[in-house]
Amino acid sequence: MTQSLHAGYHRPRMLRHVGRFSPVRIHSMHHQSGRHIRLLLAPGLSLYDALVRPLAEIGVTSASTTILGGQFARLEYCVAPPDPSGHAVIAYSPPIDAGAAYLVFGNATLGKDMQGKALVHCHASVRVASGEVKGGHIVPQASIVGAQPIPVLVTALEGFELRQALDDETNIPLLKPFKES
Amino acid sequence: MATTDTTRVATTETGRMGRVAYARIAPNEDLVQGVEKLCLAEGFRHAFVRGGLGSLIDASLGLRDGGYQQVAGPAVEVVSIAGEVRSGPDGAPVAALAGIVADTQGNVYGGPFLAGWNPVCVTFEVTLEEWLPDTETAA
Repeated sequence: MTQSLHAGYHRPRMLRHVGRFSPVRIHSMHHQSGRHIRLLLAPGLSLYDALVRPLAEIGVTSASTTILGGQFARLEYCVAPPDPSGHAVIAYSPPIDAGAAYLVFGNATLGKDMQGKALVHCHASVRVASGEVKGGHIVPQASIVGAQPIPVLVTALEGFELRQALDDETNIPLLKPFKES
Repeated sequence: MATTDTTRVATTETGRMGRVAYARIAPNEDLVQGVEKLCLAEGFRHAFVRGGLGSLIDASLGLRDGGYQQVAGPAVEVVSIAGEVRSGPDGAPVAALAGIVADTQGNVYGGPFLAGWNPVCVTFEVTLEEWLPDTETAA
């Protein structure tokens, strides 16, 4: 049982993470304006390649994107249950094969991983091959765009960049904003 | 036949987009209040959510009768989110956010996120675009 209906007050619970508490709770940066791009994810490419390559060609390496919905030839996603190893409070599950799935709506963040390579972090709701609607963390390299292009609204982030760095508090590598290197 | 008088309700507001802010909201911070604090930090009076994803410890989604639906984690993944932030005369930002969440089996639930009751699990990434109404910028 993972959901229940209630009335009245409840106290939201907190979690103690494995690392030292950071005094910075909201790590933000801004730029004077956003650059918007309509991108079409190309059929046959992985979600990763279909996002990263065309945006890199126009100089975009950090962005927030909205995937407006479309059919994937195949799609994999993960969920995030507690980490039994204690390394962190949660860990991604092994990839779940959704088969030929329709991505209903998704957001993907584009940044750089700890080696400087493009990183795509995507969460989405999907109608899986069986017809059920599910949701989770999409595996961008293993999810292949179907026969029709899929539109994406891109808000390119300028004046700063998103880079993955190990977060000491959670002991998980996370995207954060940094001044451009 | 009864009719509804809507003449006193402003249904349109013209304006333009301004600055763009990205934030990482840290664990145990509330999603809704975190977005409001982001507006305070960046000086945004009004804003639209341009994108957001991350995880919650548990999710609390508002119901029509005033109750709430609790989705237990950790972690509950936010897989869709939309919303806006508006500030009143006192300047305090108020975020109205709704979305779809997925539990640890990938089952999905949807509704409005209740302020104060949606603590971030590991991280929440959010991009806001400032909204500048003509009525506030014309002078």
